[in-house]
Amino acid sequence: MLALLEELVDSASGRSEYADVRHVRSRAERVSTRNGGVEAATHDEEEGIGVRVRVGGAWGFAAAPGSDRSAGEDALERALAAAEAGPRGAGTPLAPEPPARGRHVAPIGGEDPFAVALEDKLTVLLAADEGVRTDPRIAVSSAHFLAFREERAFASTEGALLEQVTTDCGGGIAAVATGGGETQLRSYPASFRGDVAQAGYGHFRGLDLVGHAARVADEAVALLSAPPCPAARTTLVLDGGQVALQLHESVGHAVELDRVLGTETSYAGTSFLSPADVESRRYGSAAMSVTADATTPGGLGSFGWDDEGVPAQAVPIVREGVLRGFLSSRESAGQVGLARSGGCMRAAGFARQPLVRMTNLHLEPGDAGTLEDLIAATDDGVYMETNRSWSIDDRRLHFQFATEVAWEIRGGRLGRMLRNPSYAGTSPEFWGGLDAVCSKPAWRLWGVINCGKGEPGQMMRVSHGTAPARFRDVQVGVA
Amino acid sequence: MAGRAVPAPMEVAARALEAVPAGADAAQVTASRERSLVLRFAHSEPTQATSVDDLSITVCVVRDGRTGSASTNRLDADSLGLCARSAAAAAEAAARSGAPASFPGFPPTAAARAHEGYDVDTARLDPRVGGEALSTAFASAAALGAEAHGVWTAGEVQTAIASSSGLAAVDRVTDALMKVTATAPDGRSGLATRAAVSARDLDAAEIALRAAEKATFPGEPLRLPPGEYPVVLEPPAVADLVDWLGRLAFSGLAYAEDRSALCGRLGTRVASPAINLSDSPRYRGTLPRAFDAEGVPKAPLPLIQDGVAHRVVHDTRSAALLGTTSSAHALAPGGTGLPPAPTNLVMVGGGATDEIELCAGVERGVYVTRLWYTNPVRPRETLLTGVTRDGTFLIEDGRITRPLLDMRMTDSVLGILGRVQALGGRSVLVGDDHWYGRRFATGVVCPPLRAGGVRFTA
Repeated sequence: MLALLEELVDSASGRSEYADVRHVRSRAERVSTRNGGVEAATHDEEEGIGVRVRVGGAWGFAAAPGSDRSAGEDALERALAAAEAGPRGAGTPLAPEPPARGRHVAPIGGEDPFAVALEDKLTVLLAADEGVRTDPRIAVSSAHFLAFREERAFASTEGALLEQVTTDCGGGIAAVATGGGETQLRSYPASFRGDVAQAGYGHFRGLDLVGHAARVADEAVALLSAPPCPAARTTLVLDGGQVALQLHESVGHAVELDRVLGTETSYAGTSFLSPADVESRRYGSAAMSVTADATTPGGLGSFGWDDEGVPAQAVPIVREGVLRGFLSSRESAGQVGLARSGGCMRAAGFARQPLVRMTNLHLEPGDAGTLEDLIAATDDGVYMETNRSWSIDDRRLHFQFATEVAWEIRGGRLGRMLRNPSYAGTSPEFWGGLDAVCSKPAWRLWGVINCGKGEPGQMMRVSHGTAPARFRDVQVGVA
Repeated sequence: MAGRAVPAPMEVAARALEAVPAGADAAQVTASRERSLVLRFAHSEPTQATSVDDLSITVCVVRDGRTGSASTNRLDADSLGLCARSAAAAAEAAARSGAPASFPGFPPTAAARAHEGYDVDTARLDPRVGGEALSTAFASAAALGAEAHGVWTAGEVQTAIASSSGLAAVDRVTDALMKVTATAPDGRSGLATRAAVSARDLDAAEIALRAAEKATFPGEPLRLPPGEYPVVLEPPAVADLVDWLGRLAFSGLAYAEDRSALCGRLGTRVASPAINLSDSPRYRGTLPRAFDAEGVPKAPLPLIQDGVAHRVVHDTRSAALLGTTSSAHALAPGGTGLPPAPTNLVMVGGGATDEIELCAGVERGVYVTRLWYTNPVRPRETLLTGVTRDGTFLIEDGRITRPLLDMRMTDSVLGILGRVQALGGRSVLVGDDHWYGRRFATGVVCPPLRAGGVRFTA
């Protein structure tokens, strides 16, 4: 494959200022049960060649299925035609990058999820599904298994020549309870089909879906008669999963340099940040340190090189509350005068061109101990767990989020369960209220498999390392 | 643009169907070829251009009431055979699992009606047509001192379905969309968008001008405090709400599982008597489809008539839960993971000439071009939250007087439709341009509307 890609970039080199070619083979297995039945057992695969060229400062990208020369040549011709169709662009020079060569296979630390028999997966899922159906008020029980593999090869006119393989795996369960006109949802270990990591089958097995089924069902049913979360300004403690969502939406997207520079204005939106904010803008309290790290073991955003051939790296984003950097590509890095790209260009499959994306964006752990320690150190407030709803404006400034469940905190102890919890704020003020983050043992990765961006749309898988955290003076009970 | 030689989707579907191993109770193969061109731009310069030409198949096999599926875009005989065997093995594993049967089998075959959803010129995907549209939009925005950001896209999708019960159906559709977000030097923005079957119907100059007029509307933006305000919603805002309503309330699966806002309310008034909503796959101005993902011919289906809820939409799996039949709203064969949903929503217009006339009835209210990042807060209540964007204005004494800072709306869709006071007379197609995976262009045909007492929470 590499030889073909080299030939294709040779063909492109005389007809473009820059070109890169990717061959991607993707596999996905999705198995799910619903109310005791098998809802889906699917195996999807696709492969193809994507060619990206830059002509007169304008980009063109084209994709064709397959792995042969004709596919690549067809894609190259269409990419050139697309680049030449529109008015010419300014053509900012790309940030320099030495051409990399190598092969990277992400370790999965155990059994290949695609090698495990479907029967084994169904046995786990059906047992977990049954474990959820403990009460007639459970209207929907569901259990999910997911696995993804991507094999990528990359060549550029600058001489990069790369191969890499990643494998992701995970799953989850959910219970929907209905009664008295209410519908309530509980999930484990995370909402939206669970938690996925760059890992082998052991990650799915280790989730112990069956062991958590009864608790998930009980909490869903209990929510039906729980009092609603009252409107108040109070102290808010979030579980690690909701901190991950908060970080994703109000930091991760805001620091994408293409948004900051306005090139995603029409669809994803812009950012409240500007390039001049680096090293001076206060993003949050001194307890807030954020890192984009594409080298984190198990992270869905971990790789050897991004889809421009830039090596994986750890990029400081916020240090002790001050903005330190952005997520960047070679083009956007060049536009703001960075010496090098942050290595954040990622594409979904063969038929999409790379965009500036999150890799693994972490909130660094603090020293607040465990979640129990944090609750015990909180006199009064609300503890919220597991994301249910999210919405944030196109500048990533004003947000409104909801979780599946909450509990009162009174005198350092959890009190009544609360239904329909929600909270709202603006990003810098909210992060400015961060006064405690739990310690390293409570810090873990949370996989997000549905990060959408781009036209045509691309779903990206990213991870966030977080621990439970406490925020002061937050408006809760907003919806 | 002519691509390399690619077999016809039906030929591939037939070959894959032959490869399904014996022993299956039923099998369906869907072959879909996407050819598309997407040109993006920002700051009145092109930024990205994506051309896709891909043909993939999905094989769905039924065994003892359980389904297994597999898909591939590798079209050689070995790969098609592997795909078919993978689907069959999945169905067999599901059947052996002991789980109860949940799929009654594919519906009987029936012929689909022809439609006018294909345009030969658009299917050529000539990049020069898109390039000219970009140049025109840039000039139009510049005439008002604004920059243009957005997308121009056109696509052709051919879909063929072959099944073991003898179904052999082919559909061809085209779609085109242009969206311009104009930005003024002070950072304010305005949106205009148009979608159609034919790229000829996208008037780049008019779209960009309308967007730029909003971005450059005179006056300092005002911040309104949270509260309830009468609103005039442009079609993009209406379409967003109605699209969510279709997925949340009119999903037959949600209805069967006691999760829908319409549970116990079919046959009762759920909206203003002025509201008439249907799923109409051949309505003038929509993006027609001949059949759903299970090959069931599309047909008009009334959802709300004179404010009264009539029907929910079903695929085969959700219909079986209620002992009824599919209404041709499957999004995936066998109902594997995607619930049924309307794809051709049409809201009938009213008597007002346009948005200006709708504003005439408002003493003090909010004019909304579009909503952004709307998501359900409590699906059973159709309670959504989202922010206004790209053209939010204050209405005073019946006319638009100045820009507003964007606001967060948190309200129930059925609640808003219950408070509709007037509808514009001209319904337009609002295209949904954010599909993921294979191109699946849909849209909502709707008018602008005026509603009272809409809740803004920030």
